Amino acid sequence: MKKSLGSIRKSFAPWLDPKAEPHISFADVTKKFGDFVAVDNLSLGVYGREFFALLGASGCGKSTLLRMLAGFEEPTSGVITLDGQDMHGIPPYRRPVNMMFQSYALFPHMTVEKNIAFGLKQDRMARSELDARVDEMLKLVKLDQFRGRKPDQLSGGQRQRVALARSLAKKPKVLLLDEPLGALDKKLREETQFELVDVQQDLGMTFIVVTHDQEEAMTMADRIAVMKEGKILQVATPEEVYEAPASRFVADFIGSVNMLEGVVSKPGGTTVIETQSGLVIRTKTDQETAENDKVWFAVRPEKLRVASKKPKTTSVNTIDGEIWDIAYLGDMTTFHIRLDGGQILKASVINDARLAQEQLTWHDRAWVSFAEDAGVVLTA
Amino acid sequence: MNRPLSQLFNRLVIVVPYLWLLALFLIPFVIVFKISLSQPATAMPPYVPTFEPSEGLAGLWTSLKAFSFDNYIWLTEDALYFNAYVSSVFIAGVSTFLTLLVGFPLAYGMARAPTSLRPLLLMLVILPFWTSFLIRVYAWIGILKPEGLLNQLLMAIGVINEPLIILNTDTAVYIGIVYSYLPFMVLPIYSTLEKMDYSLIEAAQDLGCRPVTAFWKITFPLSVPGVVAGCMLVFIPAVGEFVIPDLLGGSRTLMIGKTLWVEFFSNRDWPVSSAVAVVLLLILVVPIVLFQQAQARAQEAGK
Ligand SMILES: Nc1ncnc2c1ncn2[C@@H]1O[C@H](COP(=O)(O)OP(=O)(O)OP(=O)(O)O)[C@@H](O)[C@H]1O
Ligand SMILES: [Mg+2]
Repeated sequence: MKKSLGSIRKSFAPWLDPKAEPHISFADVTKKFGDFVAVDNLSLGVYGREFFALLGASGCGKSTLLRMLAGFEEPTSGVITLDGQDMHGIPPYRRPVNMMFQSYALFPHMTVEKNIAFGLKQDRMARSELDARVDEMLKLVKLDQFRGRKPDQLSGGQRQRVALARSLAKKPKVLLLDEPLGALDKKLREETQFELVDVQQDLGMTFIVVTHDQEEAMTMADRIAVMKEGKILQVATPEEVYEAPASRFVADFIGSVNMLEGVVSKPGGTTVIETQSGLVIRTKTDQETAENDKVWFAVRPEKLRVASKKPKTTSVNTIDGEIWDIAYLGDMTTFHIRLDGGQILKASVINDARLAQEQLTWHDRAWVSFAEDAGVVLTA
Repeated sequence: MNRPLSQLFNRLVIVVPYLWLLALFLIPFVIVFKISLSQPATAMPPYVPTFEPSEGLAGLWTSLKAFSFDNYIWLTEDALYFNAYVSSVFIAGVSTFLTLLVGFPLAYGMARAPTSLRPLLLMLVILPFWTSFLIRVYAWIGILKPEGLLNQLLMAIGVINEPLIILNTDTAVYIGIVYSYLPFMVLPIYSTLEKMDYSLIEAAQDLGCRPVTAFWKITFPLSVPGVVAGCMLVFIPAVGEFVIPDLLGGSRTLMIGKTLWVEFFSNRDWPVSSAVAVVLLLILVVPIVLFQQAQARAQEAGK
């Protein structure tokens, strides 16, 4: 399922086209609450039909960003445009944007059905069309048999689905989803992810989705923005964010990573980095560095190979250490290997055949090796 | 050993409120009801029959036989009572509506005020209770009388040339009731509005509602329990109100509270005034039951 999501969208990359205009654009937007800067001089373009994900730690300003686009907060400075139109001073009810609230904000005095129909009634949609649309939405979120219930008679996950259905019902050009699937169990979440992408594709909608689940962002989004303290650190496709993170924070935030600090001893296409504990790392990189620059080498656990003997084939980038911990995860096993310098490296190995792995166990000596293109060099 | 004791205690806890009800409501009501079945007499107490415990059961039986519903029949024969009831309900109804008109925006403004300001605003609403009700109503005489503060002010600004006659009219009664009962309207409405999640309004606006529509579709329906509670808290005591119509109203202001007063103190007709009170209670049972249902519903919603 995950693969099919990616492959549908292969050819969609308007951000590479210099002539393409973003559908939504934030230009130098700052939002302050008193002295507190929630969004800090942020610029961002989201293209029509794009599925855009916002990732970032709690309190970094994701909801604030969406609320400014929906019209609930005015930026302290900067300009937000939608389809070329400056949104300044335009009230929420006139913006062609719908939002699913992080708190759901379901109307407690209305049934599930009435909640979903609320926006459609505001548009004075014809009765028969309205009924059909509500049915469609109830089916989409699998709440058909709960249509007559009030929100306080629903579970948390059911409420979340009502909120999702309500925001989708009007089929807006732009939909802002503030953690739309957080309360759902894994299976239902994956199904709903798939349906969301389907709906977005079918209707040609632009989605901006806030999520705490990076796997969710990776599977669904065309591009991901990683935020920290009101700033955007990187905007890129899931592959780029994962394979070529722009900074230590991004590398650390998305997925798991081994981070080795060192200085450049030989800059160039194949850079050589020496760590404090004397490890020498040779890596291919586009990163411009000078000799003696302080850098970080980041490598994903699954790019490391683990062996009980020193590998004969590769002469570069082999490090030995002691197996400190083994975490069996079903599909993978993660080895925590303690280097002689004291650092711990994480290495994930796929369990492709039961017990096929060399019998490595606690406190064994182990050799870790990785290719010259396995990791990235980071300067920030 | 411990268990029966704590069970007993639990029962006692439940019994206490019923004891209060019995002592403070049911027993007085039975006494009033009994008097309403008696006949007036020039005696102390001014009605017959009265119980003489010394006459025993036989005496009780003779006095029981002397009871009659004559006083209730009397109430239906003289149009005065009927008119007074109707007029009281009407005045109380109009006053309740006016209090709602004044109180709702006040409560709404308080609930939307900055959180730090709300305790102060609440204090200001409750503040009038710190002076005697009677004194506050007297103060209105000073404001409303022909040479009073209001007329002086209006004439000084030049809005009017002749003093307005407000005191001793129904208008003064309305002003008095709205003023006196305003906190009872504001507080329950405020408490429902304050509990309301503002993001609901945002969600409504997001789905295409203008602020006015959002108010009528979201804010108002959610404040109904508070509105009902406030209206009952104003309406029920206003029907039987005596002080305000007596001090501010005119001789033609007809309210049942005043009628009852006259029967009791001027005519010294305890049985008829008791009958008036019993009928008043029966009239009010309907809104009281409605009030209780609204309370129960509000509690359900609050869960
Ligand atoms: N109305 C407000 N007044 C003051 N501070 C606010 C207000 N709204 C948000 N903030 C602050 O702005 C910062 C960003 O908040 P925001 O809700 O955008 O975070 P978030 O990224 O959505 O976090 P989460 O993932 O926890 O939902 C937070 O530190 C928050 O405390
Ligand atoms: Mg948020």
